[in-house]
Order: sequence, then structure tokens, then C-alpha cells
Amino acid sequence: MSRYAVNSLLYRLKKDEAFRARFVANGAEALADLDLSNEERAAFLAHDMRKINELGGYLHLVMSIPGLAGH
Amino acid sequence: MGRIVFAGAMSHVLDPDYYDRACGAVGRRTVVEVMAEIALMGERLSARQPDALIVVADDHLNAFSFNCVPAICVRIGRSVQRMAQDHAEAFDKVLDHMPIEYPLHEELANAILAQGVAAGFDLALSWEAPVDHAFLSPVNTLHGPRPIPPLVPIFVNAFVAPQPTARRCFAFGQHIARVVARSPWNVGIIATGGLSHFPELSLPRVGETDTVFDRKLIHWMETGEHGPLQELTADELHKSGSHEFLNWMVLLGAVTPARAAVRYFGELPRINLAAVEWSLP
Repeated sequence: MSRYAVNSLLYRLKKDEAFRARFVANGAEALADLDLSNEERAAFLAHDMRKINELGGYLHLVMSIPGLAGH
Repeated sequence: MGRIVFAGAMSHVLDPDYYDRACGAVGRRTVVEVMAEIALMGERLSARQPDALIVVADDHLNAFSFNCVPAICVRIGRSVQRMAQDHAEAFDKVLDHMPIEYPLHEELANAILAQGVAAGFDLALSWEAPVDHAFLSPVNTLHGPRPIPPLVPIFVNAFVAPQPTARRCFAFGQHIARVVARSPWNVGIIATGGLSHFPELSLPRVGETDTVFDRKLIHWMETGEHGPLQELTADELHKSGSHEFLNWMVLLGAVTPARAAVRYFGELPRINLAAVEWSLP
């Protein structure tokens, strides 16, 4: 099973335009309260979609976040 | 007595611009070719004047969030909306040009749902789930400017493990056939998605396909050998990138033992595009 925290964050980045804008402007602040491992947090802050996919992020989410999609 | 009057399955990212970006000119040419075959299939579908069109497809984590991922979900209600997303990426950009709302065949959807639960299928239901490219690209390509019959969208969880089994999807398709047979309606059914793409749902493997696996699936569909198809495991479908074949398994159950005629099979580095139609009695 993939990690819920990673995928729920991906889903929010995909669907919530305001949150996505906050994340792009200041990733560390946007993720501050989320239950992520250090490795997961680093991958998100680096916008490293391959790593996020390796960590259990569903492909169709990592491929479909506006402006951040990994292809 | 109702009848299934048309059955077809096809890939569901039907967007020349997308494949042009992803695969270059050969991508555009290949998807234009498969879309032309799907449009011809649509002419045959419309000629049979179906009262309803069942569309079996998967959600790409668009309609369902992480508060619930149903194994099989029947969309009920009177109408369904296309998914709306700000700055839609890649697969769903094509939706922007399509009608926003589509009527549903409420009575058939309710019958599939209620009789299915009574028969032991623990189906989910939704009044509100929107539909994405997996439903609307094939439906609009089939119909072009012609009227679209009332739809019955059925969602199959193809991506979020654990998925329903191929055997269970086939059995659910057999249930659909029984419901239609007891109804007064002539019904079309399509299944969408595939064929092989994105093996193991791994980003580094985007751009690969398993054509040997797909040709095996096609052989069994052409010869009407539905036994080995029901034996397919989640692991085989995951590794081969034929995850979405679960949608096709529902259709196969609905039309078994009919044999498939391949209208188009085109290999691309990124995906094998296919359009298949079944010969019905």
C-alpha cells in the first residue's frame, strides 16, 4: 500500500489551487504541519516527482499536478 | 426482452495534441488513426439506436479522493458532469472542448446497482462523481456531432491496490448482461483504457509498453477464450502496464462467449492504442 500522507498531499496539490500556490511560494511553510518523513518532505521540497513516485505516490497524481507534473 | 446491441473497447486518451507532445508525429498519426476507427464504430453503435450506453472505465484519482476508493461503483442519478479542473494537465486538457453535462439512464443504472447488490456484488454508488477523459474521450469520439444516448458510467478501481480481480470484473459483466436481458432496453456497452502503458505505474517506465502481453490478450479475445483472461492476476496486469484491462474484463463478461474483432492496434513507445469490437448475435 502506498503511504496515505504522500498521496493525500499530492491530491491536495492537484485539486486545491490556493494550497498549490502556497506550496510553490514557500514549500517548507506549506508542508510544516504535515505528517511526512524527512525523506518525503525533502522530495516534495525538491519537486522530485520521481522520488515521490518511488516513495509510493500514485503515478497518475505525480503526472497531473498543474505546473509540477512529472513526465 | 432487452439486448446488448453493441460492444466495443478502446484506448481512452484520444488527443492528437497530447500524443504529438509525448511521441512526436508518429504519436499524432497513430492516435488519429485509432480515433478514425472509433468514429466508424460509433456509426455502427448509433445505427443500432441504443436506449442507453454503459461506459466502464477507471477513475484516475479525479472523481474519488482518499476518503473512499470504491472497487466498482455505479454512477446513478439523472445526469453526470465532466470533471472540471483548473489548469488541467495532459490527459484532461481535451475535456475542455466537450459538453459539460450528460444525461444518465437512471432506470438501468438503478437496476444494475440494486440487482447487483441483491445478487451478492457489494457495489458502491455515487450521485455526484464527475467523469474524466476515461469516459468522455471515447464517448465523444464515438458520437461526433450525433446525439449521445443516456449513459450508465461504471467506475472500476484499476490503479489503487488492492484492485478487484479480473475474475470478479468478468462476473460483474455477466451480471450486467442478465440485467439487460431482463430489461426492455437495447443497450450499448463500451470499456475503455489501455492497452499496455506505464508498467508498474513507475515514472521512469513511462514510455514503455509490453506488446507481447497485449498480443496475448488480443489473441484470447479474438478466439473467445475467456477462461485464461479470468486467470489474469493483479501482479501480471501491474507489471505489464495493462491495469486498465479490468474495465475490458467487465465488458467481456457482458458479451461472453462472443469473439472480438480488432479494428485497430497501434504500437507507440508510450502506449499501445487499440480499438476492438465484438460480434454479437
